[in-house]
Amino acid sequence: MASLSEEVLLVVKKVRQRKQDGTLYLMAERIAWGPEGKDRFTVSHPYSDIRCQKISPDGKAKVQLQLVLHTGESTTFHFANESTALKDREAAKELLQQLLPKFKKKANKELEEKNRMLQEDPVLFQLYKDLVVSQVISAEEFWANRLGGLNNSEPAPYSNKQEVGISGAFLADIRPQTDGCNGLRYNLTTDIIESIFRTYPAVKQKYSENVPHSLTEKEFWTRFFQSHYFHRDRINTGTQDIFSECAKQDEKGLMSLVNKGVKNPLVDLLSLEDKTLDEGYGLKQALPSTSNTNKTVKESSNAAIIKRFNHHSAMVLAAGSRKNEVPADQASETSSTDGNSRDSDFFQPPVKKVKLQEAIEYEDLQRESKQKTVALNLKKSDRYAHGPVPLQSQKYTTSQDIINAVNCIQQEMAHYKPNLTQVMSSTAASSAIAALSPGGVLMQGGAQQAINQMVPSDIQGELKHLYVAAGELLRHFWSCFPVNTSFLEDKVIKMKSNLERFQMTKLSPFKEKLQRQYLGTNLTGHLEEMLQTAYGKFHIWQTRRMMRKT
Amino acid sequence: MKLNIEGLLVYFPYDYIYPEQYSYMLELKRTLDAKGHGVLEMPSGTGKTISLLSLIVAYQKAFPLDVTKLIYCSRTVPEIEKVVEELRKLMEFYAKETGEVNNFLALALSSRKNLCIHPEVSSLRFGKEVDGKCHSLTASYIRAQRHSNPDQPVCRFYEEFDAVGRQVPLPAGIYNLDDLKDFGRRKGWCPYYLARYSILHANIVVYSYHYLLDPKIADLVSKELAKKSVVVFDEAHNIDNVCIDSMSVNITRRTLDRCQGNVETLQHTIQKIKDTDAAKLREEYRRLVEGLKEANIARETDVYLANPVLPDEILQEAVPGSIRTAEHFLGFLRRFLEYLKSRLRVHHVVQESAPQFLKDIFEKVCIDRKPLRFCAERLQSLLRTLEIADIADFSAVTLIANFATLVSTYSLGFTIIIEPFDDRTPTIANPVLHFSCMDPSIAIKPVFQRFQSVVITSGTLSPLDIYPKILDFRPVTMASFTMTLARTCLCPLIVGRGNDQVALSSKFETREDFAVIRNYGNLLLEMSAIVPDGIVAFFTSYVYMENIVASWYEQGILENIQRNKLIFIETQDAAETSMALEKYQEACENGRGAILLSVARGKVSEGIDFVHHFGRAVIMFGVPYVYTQSRILKARLEYLRDQFQIRENDFLTFDAMRHAAQCVGRAIRGKTDYGLMIFADKRYARADKRGKLPRWIQEHISDGSLNLTVDETVQLSKHFLRQMAQPFRQVKPPDRRRVSLRATSPRLLSLCRRTSWVCLC
Repeated sequence: MASLSEEVLLVVKKVRQRKQDGTLYLMAERIAWGPEGKDRFTVSHPYSDIRCQKISPDGKAKVQLQLVLHTGESTTFHFANESTALKDREAAKELLQQLLPKFKKKANKELEEKNRMLQEDPVLFQLYKDLVVSQVISAEEFWANRLGGLNNSEPAPYSNKQEVGISGAFLADIRPQTDGCNGLRYNLTTDIIESIFRTYPAVKQKYSENVPHSLTEKEFWTRFFQSHYFHRDRINTGTQDIFSECAKQDEKGLMSLVNKGVKNPLVDLLSLEDKTLDEGYGLKQALPSTSNTNKTVKESSNAAIIKRFNHHSAMVLAAGSRKNEVPADQASETSSTDGNSRDSDFFQPPVKKVKLQEAIEYEDLQRESKQKTVALNLKKSDRYAHGPVPLQSQKYTTSQDIINAVNCIQQEMAHYKPNLTQVMSSTAASSAIAALSPGGVLMQGGAQQAINQMVPSDIQGELKHLYVAAGELLRHFWSCFPVNTSFLEDKVIKMKSNLERFQMTKLSPFKEKLQRQYLGTNLTGHLEEMLQTAYGKFHIWQTRRMMRKT
Repeated sequence: MKLNIEGLLVYFPYDYIYPEQYSYMLELKRTLDAKGHGVLEMPSGTGKTISLLSLIVAYQKAFPLDVTKLIYCSRTVPEIEKVVEELRKLMEFYAKETGEVNNFLALALSSRKNLCIHPEVSSLRFGKEVDGKCHSLTASYIRAQRHSNPDQPVCRFYEEFDAVGRQVPLPAGIYNLDDLKDFGRRKGWCPYYLARYSILHANIVVYSYHYLLDPKIADLVSKELAKKSVVVFDEAHNIDNVCIDSMSVNITRRTLDRCQGNVETLQHTIQKIKDTDAAKLREEYRRLVEGLKEANIARETDVYLANPVLPDEILQEAVPGSIRTAEHFLGFLRRFLEYLKSRLRVHHVVQESAPQFLKDIFEKVCIDRKPLRFCAERLQSLLRTLEIADIADFSAVTLIANFATLVSTYSLGFTIIIEPFDDRTPTIANPVLHFSCMDPSIAIKPVFQRFQSVVITSGTLSPLDIYPKILDFRPVTMASFTMTLARTCLCPLIVGRGNDQVALSSKFETREDFAVIRNYGNLLLEMSAIVPDGIVAFFTSYVYMENIVASWYEQGILENIQRNKLIFIETQDAAETSMALEKYQEACENGRGAILLSVARGKVSEGIDFVHHFGRAVIMFGVPYVYTQSRILKARLEYLRDQFQIRENDFLTFDAMRHAAQCVGRAIRGKTDYGLMIFADKRYARADKRGKLPRWIQEHISDGSLNLTVDETVQLSKHFLRQMAQPFRQVKPPDRRRVSLRATSPRLLSLCRRTSWVCLC
């Protein structure tokens, strides 16, 4: 055998694969199959490669087990031992069931993390494409100082997995099937049972009370499906039904939900109306109380359906968010210790205020909030304004003069009172504004054409990418200085060659392209300058090192 | 920003302005200049309220003598509060720009239920209970009794207010309901009475329609508001119904029984007073001989808003001798009561006009028209004299007295219908006398007459010319503004056929048709699969919705919908519906997505907005016609035809379309918002229906989308939604704190798409 050192957990004989008889081995880290009479495995999958296993339905002639890999391929094993086929398969399945999850968790977490980062950050993804895919630097180098930093800085939002909610239609998924002899079959999976328990805690309670003391599990679910509780639209309340209590509990829960009222005052229909008409006034008379009793059966069953849907949806929603409730409760508990907050009135206005404010906002009419900039802090603004100009005898305005003038204008503007009835017509005004805008009649000659109007946008984009990539490489390069370990020495040499490669494979073609398109401006000048600086530094360092060596 | 509106400097608290807001202000200014009335339609979400407030406040500041007060009427409490918050924003902007301290007093007024701070009274749940309890603590005679009996409980907040609150006017500022309560708590004054007192000298008053349109309340609250006021009715598309409601009376057997009880109580009280304090009654008699001179003088000198229940003529005369003494009046009431009881004993439906009723009552029990007209006023006087606190207790007899006055005053515009039983339950005797108003102009007439400018505005007022007709006034400006859009953010589609080519319609003949119901179900199912977050569906009536939901349930359609979204359904119980609404919003917030099934003309369709992800699609199943078989409606249609030359069909369609427009308009609450509007009924394609939709919806219906199948609708919707999901300028995604439950939810996907875009830049 090829790997005797491995621990073999299970051996199943007479297993066919691709119409060949053979033996299936389940080992500590992989599953393998070898044809009969040969001593090597033709099929071997590490558990971590397997996404899931599937089995053939019970009634089928062939007893099979299928493994689906992460790559999408699948392998099917046919258990051919007539007498014990089912048992064999079950054994293999059970074992796999225990083994697979262990390996799934181990399955390259890091890769996932990298994948996620690339997906979430398009800039990073572009960088990755520019540098790694085009083989400027290796993937390890690229990730070297990214993963660790990111992992440490914000592990919280990603580490806890999102709670999966309950499908709203889980009850609908239990389709009853007729079994041909006047009976119904319901297929229940553990998922569905879990859903039922989470949505209807009352049923769970019943379950734990009755199973297995007084009912078997099967009986319990049979009763459940037979009960009026499941078929809420039928109006026949059998009192011996164990679920009638659940129905009552639900009713109570619903009532308490309704009585609790709503937090958001904007959806509270009860307090919507300010002043209702007094009794007896108005066109729509209130329904007399007698009319409730003589509702037809159909009407009340319809009402029951509606009630049921509202309740069901509310419960599903609550089940989804039940996990989050716990910390919220704690929060309210801790906050209620400060005394004030016991007054329920105390909390209400803020919610209301917020909701009202939200309702009256017109965000598109507001000035767009600009990104925060760092204010330039100058010690001597004089020097900044004039620069190192030699003092000349000619007359020039001092900064004090300028400040005074600005203040003057500011004051004048503040007290400016327009004569609103005698104003320019709007057409004249708009033509004046047009003339004074960049590109207008009066503004020619002054302003230069902006660079972003001359260069097509795809070139701009490419240039942006080049800058990002170059910046990344240069960052790696400069981070090696001061070079005080041999590792850094290696790295700096590698980085230098990386930079050169970058210049050769990326920058030069771009430059040629620019020339082909006759774009006059020297767009790549700055990039080259940066590279040259780096090369210069490298040369200085290298010559120094050579000197030291010699 | 500062604007120049035809020579008026207007401060507008935003840096940008929509073009339609500017045009709106122009029209509004012209209305105010002309001192006339106006009808203005502008889509919801284009900043109608802030435009109105900015212009009128600027006008008030520029011409303080011409416009002294702004009376802003809205429909619901949240809307009232929203208006005050916008006003606060405007005033803060004023203060910032001009540097002056705000000298405006603006306040909201609401019912006691929303303003009371008395610990016991405010804990009561229903408005009526709060009012009744408040009466029993603050009525003048209760307070008088306290002098002799210090144990008599009174409201300390009211006492405090009465003692000192009136002397110092409320300091200038913006007072929302909560601010009033805070102020009241600080000072120990009753906020409700403080607000009621302060509206007389406030610059801006925000309250609900009823305070102007319901004569019973208007008489108490708004009577003394200055003539030089501008009145704004916002969300006024339903104003005619409010007017009619406030003037209509229903009398059942129960009312009459309670009235009987009231009369007995009055009898006892009179007897008691006679024994102890006969002078009081004599004093009342003397007052009644003098007549209502005081009220007359007040009205002539134009101090008061006219009360339609108190007609002009009776002010000039003294109360007729036959009902002047208390006993005689009670006897008179008894006779009237017996007559009404006999009328309710009919076995077939009777419909008659007011003059016929008066003739009959004169022949049967010899009650003349004249004393009937004084009935309401006489009863008020008696209740005052007898010092009866709990007005709520005497609501039945007040109702009867009001009915008497109305029926004898107006010979036109009202109809009397006596039904021995409910149409749906013909076996159970439940006689009702409907005295229904058919002419909304009666209730609103005093408002138009008294105030110099009345502006009626809403997002959906089309067709504009019908409102001046039915409210009987001559506007100086009428304008409808459309929405200027940076992108077509609304997508109205008319679905006329199912995939099997069955015509979709909610009309009576095909209502029960399974093919139609199934196709409606398919439409909802398909939409639930492609629309992100929230979908709101409206049905034409509650019964119709119940039936459809039941048959969808039987056909398994609802189960399939549940695979995509949670389902919430409006019920007839307001508390339950509120809960469903909140859960619906929660489901939209957390990314699961939900569907709300609701009813046109219901509370949800009238008062709840579905902004942004709360309503990405609205589906209107059928045309929401009113129940046309009701006799009251028939009488009203007849009246409209005879008096205003409005054809029945025109009015019915108008009414249906304004409700449809209201429903679908709930989804678009601004230009950054977007939503599908799906009209699922082939009748919407007809020109007479389509033409009655507001212009801002109409102009986005292309000829190609008039008679779509369900599949075509899905295709168009997908295309629209995909376009809209792209980022709109630099608008940030509404909020990122929202978390998603399921990674497959469209909300999360669209959120990712948007965030990635943000990162790119």
